[in-house]
Amino acid sequence: MSREFHPLVKQLLDGERTLSSLPPELQAEAEEAVRLLGAMDRRDVTFSSGLEARVMQEVRQHAAARRVRANTDPVLWRWLTAPSVPPWVVGAVAAAAIIALVIWRPGSANDPVAVAPATAVAPESVFVKFILFAAAAKRVTLAGTFNRWDAGATPLARAGDEGVWTVTLGLPVGQHQYAFVVDGQRWVVDPAAPTVDDGFGRKNSVVSVSLGLGRVM
Amino acid sequence: MTRPASLLALAMLLAPHLAGQGRADARLAGRVPASLAAAVTALLDSAALHGLPGAPLVDKALEGVAKGAPTDRILVAVRTVFDQLDAVATVLAETGNAGADAVEAGSFAMAAGLTTSDIGEIARTADRSHPAATALLVAGTLAALGVPRAETVALVRATIRSGRPVGDLVSLPGQVQAAMAGGSPPAAAAAGLARAAEAHLAPGPRGRGRGQGNPHKP
Repeated sequence: MSREFHPLVKQLLDGERTLSSLPPELQAEAEEAVRLLGAMDRRDVTFSSGLEARVMQEVRQHAAARRVRANTDPVLWRWLTAPSVPPWVVGAVAAAAIIALVIWRPGSANDPVAVAPATAVAPESVFVKFILFAAAAKRVTLAGTFNRWDAGATPLARAGDEGVWTVTLGLPVGQHQYAFVVDGQRWVVDPAAPTVDDGFGRKNSVVSVSLGLGRVM
Repeated sequence: MTRPASLLALAMLLAPHLAGQGRADARLAGRVPASLAAAVTALLDSAALHGLPGAPLVDKALEGVAKGAPTDRILVAVRTVFDQLDAVATVLAETGNAGADAVEAGSFAMAAGLTTSDIGEIARTADRSHPAATALLVAGTLAALGVPRAETVALVRATIRSGRPVGDLVSLPGQVQAAMAGGSPPAAAAAGLARAAEAHLAPGPRGRGRGQGNPHKP
């Protein structure tokens, strides 16, 4: 079953219009579209309890395979692991490195990379499903603070023939801003999420994740 | 010492020299024009000096480039974020909430439309069970939904003071959005929830009582 919405209703779903800006004859259709969108399953994704064990088993097998490869190339392995420098040289080099750090960068205490605590990766994540209705789109991606606004990093997958695109991401605790990128050009807000000004004349959608409590929105 | 360890030591020796030549934050490298990277890195240095988180500045610069904004406009946007972080950190320090997560949440709340005065009011109401960072995150989300400032502050404060679990606080934006889907304007939806929280206020094991404020704060 497929339904084609009026172009103005599609603009509403893309976040480019408000419900009140639509002509009266389209109000019912728009409300139906919004209702359908709202009825989609936006619950946080829960993985089966055995997933972690299966993933860890894969990791261990991968690590074992790497050890086997190392053992089959003894010349390279010996070169990498063989002692090559006397211990007193190690001490001298380390001391020189420390001195160089102090002397060369007197302002190193102000280095944003070194001291910015907010860049630490949050220990807890919540899986969030993102959904966009974009029937005419050929490609939809997601860009936001969680992927450094890389418009090519997080593609959405088309779900069926209804023009619905989805992706599920694990987001760390905190507030994240994002937008959908349709066909690599059009930045579209999430019609189901709150928005804030982006400082560039557009809007960003917002998803907030709270520690141990899941999604705020 | 093994060869990899030797190489690591050599890298440690050379790293300060190489980093000093670039003077651009590593997170911007290759994604931001050199002039913008230098300007943002200077702001990052300043942010570090003031104890402000740097990630929001980097994010705003990357966002501007991704959206094709002109360099001067990106710099204005990054400076705006810096000013918000600085203002929020100042007001939060006065309330005893100086954590980077609270500062970032407050900056988001400001971007959503709240003022430093609003943020101070919310932070003063926060307590151990309802941390300032969470309260500001919720307040910012409510404002982003279109709830006016006064109703946002009133709802968050009433919910905290009611002594309800923090899960109730976190669920507020969802409740407001559900009411909006039913046709209620954001302000009315928030006001209704605030009245319900006020009604929940009562001296006792959970509610701290009306007007008692936060016993952990001066």
